[in-house]
Amino acid sequence: MLSDHTPENGRAERVPDPAAQAAATESRLAFERSRTFVARMPDPAVTRLRMFTVIGVLLLGFVVIPMLNWIGVVPDYKVNLLGKYLCFAIAALGIDLIWGYTGLLSLCQALFFCLGGYVMAMHLSLPQGWGDVRPEYNNIPQFMFFNNLTHLPAFWMPFTSFSFTIATSILLPGGIAALLGFFILRSRVRGVYFAIVTQALAWGAWLLISRNEMLLGGTNGLTNFDKDFTTTRRWILGLYILTLTVVVLAYLVCRAIVRSRLGRVLIAVRDRETRLYFAGYKPYAYKVFAFAVGAMLAGLGGMLYPPQVGIITPQDMNVEASIFAVIAVAAGGRGRLWGAVYGALLVNVLRSSLSSDLRSGWLLVDGLLFIVVPLFFAEGFVGIWSKLEEQVTIRAGFKRIGITVSPLIILSIFILVEALGLEPAALQHTIPIPIMDTVIQWKYLLLIALLGANVAAYFSQRQNDRQTRGLAGFPPRPATAAGRIAG
Amino acid sequence: MTTSAAQLDPANLADPVKEAMVYLSEVSVSFDGFKALDIKRLCILRNELRVCIGPNGAGKTTMCDVISGKTRAATGKIYFDGVDITHKKDVEIARLGVGRKFQTPTVFDSLTVYENMELALPGERSVFRNLLTKETHEQQDSIMVILERVKLTSDLHTPAKYLSHGQRQWLEISMLMLSDPKLLLVDEPAAGLTDRETDLTAELLNELKGHHTIIVIEHDMDFVRRLASRVTVLNEGKVLAEGSLDQVQANVDVIEAYLGR
Repeated sequence: MLSDHTPENGRAERVPDPAAQAAATESRLAFERSRTFVARMPDPAVTRLRMFTVIGVLLLGFVVIPMLNWIGVVPDYKVNLLGKYLCFAIAALGIDLIWGYTGLLSLCQALFFCLGGYVMAMHLSLPQGWGDVRPEYNNIPQFMFFNNLTHLPAFWMPFTSFSFTIATSILLPGGIAALLGFFILRSRVRGVYFAIVTQALAWGAWLLISRNEMLLGGTNGLTNFDKDFTTTRRWILGLYILTLTVVVLAYLVCRAIVRSRLGRVLIAVRDRETRLYFAGYKPYAYKVFAFAVGAMLAGLGGMLYPPQVGIITPQDMNVEASIFAVIAVAAGGRGRLWGAVYGALLVNVLRSSLSSDLRSGWLLVDGLLFIVVPLFFAEGFVGIWSKLEEQVTIRAGFKRIGITVSPLIILSIFILVEALGLEPAALQHTIPIPIMDTVIQWKYLLLIALLGANVAAYFSQRQNDRQTRGLAGFPPRPATAAGRIAG
Repeated sequence: MTTSAAQLDPANLADPVKEAMVYLSEVSVSFDGFKALDIKRLCILRNELRVCIGPNGAGKTTMCDVISGKTRAATGKIYFDGVDITHKKDVEIARLGVGRKFQTPTVFDSLTVYENMELALPGERSVFRNLLTKETHEQQDSIMVILERVKLTSDLHTPAKYLSHGQRQWLEISMLMLSDPKLLLVDEPAAGLTDRETDLTAELLNELKGHHTIIVIEHDMDFVRRLASRVTVLNEGKVLAEGSLDQVQANVDVIEAYLGR
């Protein structure tokens, strides 16, 4: 009797209503229009701005810098360093995917980076990778000879193959991350506990690889690669352009991921993981995916690291290195892919120039940066860009837009000048800092002055706005596509 | 448009496992010795709209938690559509066709209205398929029909965090409707809504009535009256009374539970 009245799926079919269907078709058309013209291409001015920025950055990276290097304006070692920072940028994309989109704080990214790096370094230590191998050392890498080995250990054998090395440097970190992620995340380990587990992992791996018995060079790491990589312009430029290309490709892959529905599920995991269970999703599977892809990107970045640096040691994979990478992403901005790249470049350039110019002062700036950024730029430098786009959309006026965007411009110019070693000699003169018994270069004073002037301009503008609008600090609703159409 | 609810009396089923959509038998839940739920027998028929009322702490939400797998029953058996779901996980239960709206609206804040709806589309839940899948025109239509019903089309690309409380409630109900589950657990759909918003919510639920099995938890008696369906009163984890709203409102035990002795 029951089956007479109830369809098998337990629901009665809804009878389609012609009027509702017509309305639906109409609204779908309207929706497609809005999706094509509004959601995808926000505002003509913003689109132009984005396009010019992208073209400008690509031109700068692929054409201007190599040309400047070729004609001798930019020294080789600066291009070499830039290539090294780009390796970190690839790993940073992975961190953004895991942390910025999925909300999982992983503190073992440097480990995955170094796994890729060690794999490549093993190949480069062998004759097949032009490693410095001599007959007086039994034709094996020198550290092995000093460890009383006569033959190459069996597990080193496969790394004579270049293609095997490339594949392993990506798949090994990815595989390890997938395996670990599966066991850690399936048991619904979340938030800070995940961070602690990964941190412990990084520390354990660091201890392990530091041991001589691992036959990976112990604390000295792997070195004695072909000197040409870091000394000849051909190799330096080639590796730099290769790394930059990989950054672009990695960016495009990440963009495809975050723009797919899978990317939306990743954001949903970050926002409200528990809700996903009741929609039938298994969040852990998505987290394992993000973790594995992030690890593969770290491995990819790590693979390009040893040839450009000439050495890889366990110091590159310690907990501090992982935290440093995470902080770089935070400074650049989470949840937007280019923010991770920008952050990695910014923080690494700052570190490299400050640690040579200020020596111990770097740690001070380091600490300051990581207090100031979360306090005033919670969204990182991505936040500045988002605000810029908003203001361009509502045509907020040159002054306002200028105030918004100038920190980004000032810092970008600073990075560029520092990274390429283009600063005029006058700015390299130093003046003493009275209390701290040290000296500081004029360029830093100029940077501080410019940023300070910007902050002052910002506050005077805000004061002005408050008086005219009478809305003390009331956050305006962001200009959405729909709101613009209505208005 | 026939419903089996008209023919069968949920209180006296010969074979509740097969005949009922949801069947709770001797289900109890306790938190640190406090018995939050202690239901001897509760049957909800296919395509029935059942309203659950009861004073604060009566175990209404706990009942939803137990059915949807958020909380495990300490004793007893729970059957959903003839399947024993007592020991199943939340994800498995959701995939069997139990959809849920939470007491406080839970939507994905950073995603836009449309993206929220996209995640609720029935079907693909695996990682790699979701990397490539794209919604069809039919799916877009079904999303737009529902969003038009709840007047959210103009906020299609607005992140859910900028919606008002009522809009968030509706968005969650819309997501539930879109995912088209066999059973809808709707926890306080009218909480915090204005009168006009409440009207629309009642309308929506009445539209679903007869096509879906629905359990609604609600405090607002006017709202419950408008749903015109069978009511179960819970108190201290137990089923106190069952029947039409007028019947249970006349019940002495119910009056006592609500007003106190």
